[in-house]
Amino acid sequence: MSEKDKYTVVEAPDGYSAPGFFATTLDKAVGLARKNSIWPLPFATSCCGIEFMATMGAHYDLGRFGAERLSFSPRQADLLMVMGTIAKKMAPVVQQVYEQMAEPRWVIAVGACASSGGIFDTYSVLQGIDKVVPVDVYVPGCPPRPEQIIDGFMKIQELVGKESLRRRYSTEYKEMLESYGIKIDK
Amino acid sequence: MEYSILLQELRNNFGDSILLADDSADIFTVTIASKVIKELIIYLKEKQDFIFLTDLCGIHYPEQEKEFGVIYHLHNLVENKRIRLKTFVTRANPQVESIVSVFSSANWMERETFDFYGIDFAGHPNLIRILNVDYMDYFPMRKEYPLEDATRSDKDDRFFGR
Amino acid sequence: MKTINSEHHLDLTKEDEKVYSTLNLGPTHPATHGIFQNILTMNGETIVGAEQTIGYIHRAFEKIAERRPYYQITTLTDRLNYCSSPINNIGWHLAVEKLLGVKTTKRVDYMRIIVMELARIADHLICNSVIGVDSGALTGFVYVFEEREKIYEIYEELCGARLTTNLGRVGGFDRDFSPLAIQKIRDLINGLPKVLHEFERLLMRNRIFMDRTINVGGISAERALNYGFTGPNLRAAGVDYDVRVMEPYSSYNDFDFIVPVGQNGDTYDRYCVRQTELWESIKLVSNALDNLPEGKFNSEVPAFFMPPKEDVYSKMEPLISHFKMVMGEIDVPEKEIYSAVEGANGELGFYVVADGGRTPYRLHFRRPGFIYYQAFPEMITGAALSDAILTMSSMNVIAGELDA
Repeated sequence: MSEKDKYTVVEAPDGYSAPGFFATTLDKAVGLARKNSIWPLPFATSCCGIEFMATMGAHYDLGRFGAERLSFSPRQADLLMVMGTIAKKMAPVVQQVYEQMAEPRWVIAVGACASSGGIFDTYSVLQGIDKVVPVDVYVPGCPPRPEQIIDGFMKIQELVGKESLRRRYSTEYKEMLESYGIKIDK
Repeated sequence: MEYSILLQELRNNFGDSILLADDSADIFTVTIASKVIKELIIYLKEKQDFIFLTDLCGIHYPEQEKEFGVIYHLHNLVENKRIRLKTFVTRANPQVESIVSVFSSANWMERETFDFYGIDFAGHPNLIRILNVDYMDYFPMRKEYPLEDATRSDKDDRFFGR
Repeated sequence: MKTINSEHHLDLTKEDEKVYSTLNLGPTHPATHGIFQNILTMNGETIVGAEQTIGYIHRAFEKIAERRPYYQITTLTDRLNYCSSPINNIGWHLAVEKLLGVKTTKRVDYMRIIVMELARIADHLICNSVIGVDSGALTGFVYVFEEREKIYEIYEELCGARLTTNLGRVGGFDRDFSPLAIQKIRDLINGLPKVLHEFERLLMRNRIFMDRTINVGGISAERALNYGFTGPNLRAAGVDYDVRVMEPYSSYNDFDFIVPVGQNGDTYDRYCVRQTELWESIKLVSNALDNLPEGKFNSEVPAFFMPPKEDVYSKMEPLISHFKMVMGEIDVPEKEIYSAVEGANGELGFYVVADGGRTPYRLHFRRPGFIYYQAFPEMITGAALSDAILTMSSMNVIAGELDA
């Protein structure tokens, strides 16, 4: 096995190349860098969190996707991974954590409870975290298998890679955040 | 120790407060008046070796005169005997004496029972809601309250035959 | 020095407030492994008081249970202590069997022991490896998680799910152990001892680990009993209470196993007790598998024994009983029972009040984690912050079990 076969390199985005130069848009270059170094914030509350531990473990290894660096501080995190039931008591905390994250930020709802309340249609459970924060990707399952979590993560990577640099400054985006009652830094 | 002897001992000490005794259930069950509950548990702990409070929970029987019950499970670890104590209180005055000073473990179990049923444990050091949000204004485990979340907008009653 | 009253609220004067600082540990803190809040009052690095808030994933299990037919309650028990859900499932099935007065066959009992002990292994592995993580040794965690994956694969082979297994039925199991499952279990118990030895070599006599855990978060036997401790945490404090021995269920009395007991009730003792229990569980699984009797994998409980699918499609009676069972229309005697099993964290009890209807009138879960976690402030008062983290992970508080 040659030295080169031991690792894989992500593919370059579309662009123009000739000997000595390669040109592409800034969006794509930034997207490429971002999507392969996402720092997730694991917001694990219950069962799905245990499956997330398995996802981080040696067998499934989320590190292969450039996400082995978990950021437990929301300030440095790119991706909020909400895993598990969110009770009404917890809802303000989720929103607060989201507010503390810096733009650009993404959210993935892992598991039925985070997505829709799951089997717990009760007085104490929030019926899906999309009641308090905007969600980019939903992962079904109770709990989802690690493969599913990885699949959801790859969907996020796709979104991150394709996102326009202007999106977060658009009025639509600000209106969307305001509809959730999320404070926006002026 | 045989349960009949224990029951006799209890009758000797607490007389009329022992309302009902049942040894046909899986665990020897004694129903007692709510006013002596703490005294009786102290007696069981100190004189009869029931040194372990296994469980404490509430129950609601809407059709009874005394609607709310508190159920204690004690365990005699020396002889491996269990006992179940029940006491009932009315909706108007749901008050039971707290046993936190006897068993520290009762602290959260009583708070949970208060949270679910609104049973007032007199003498509890910090009787506030434990599992539910502080601003909740009812006691959800009472039979008259619904289970479902009231804020769901995607549930159309017609689809559920209601 | 100020005194702390029983609820650990501090009575601080203006003067003291300058000395003490408040630290908010949780509800989402990477070191708390679950969501519970501890507001610590700190004097420098030393904890002088703690106030706990729980209920962040309260899902109203007991209310849901009042609306669910008996066989559907396993979805709730799955999510109590999700690190070892088969124990909870089988505990619930044992409770319903006690209610219905059903006797199970030896084969069912032994199959249950195998599954429950596998779950105990999975649970203790997670707890002990996380103690390692919190004391700075991530290697052991990554190492034993590989073995946990194998247990999940066994669950998958037994029932199709990994974590929330819904394993077993009232009266036994929904299907027999497949030859592949038995092979996988054998592979696990042959391979696990080597991994466990290495894991032990990493931590058990490790000077740093011992310094971090010995005499940290200790509790006396008397206080532990007063606080309602059960399971490994109580045994670490020196009380040999184990439901498997005190009130043997599921033919546990057919087997020889040691109930390990600690001395100081500190973090190191809790670690050692769990570690010894892992070895005992491996032994139990191996013994039960070797002596697994032939026979049916489900006792004849007509109300809960699903008829074979081909009969449902072709015969009248099986179709009716299948329908009745799925709709939960079964005859339950009007009585109340308390049934307990030794969960991974302690005595997991089910107090069921049945009124003869299709659902329990009242179901109360005795969740061991909920009861012993209230001792946490007492155990960490006077300790350093880093010790509090270790104490918490060694108590193995599972949020799902805590809040129900």
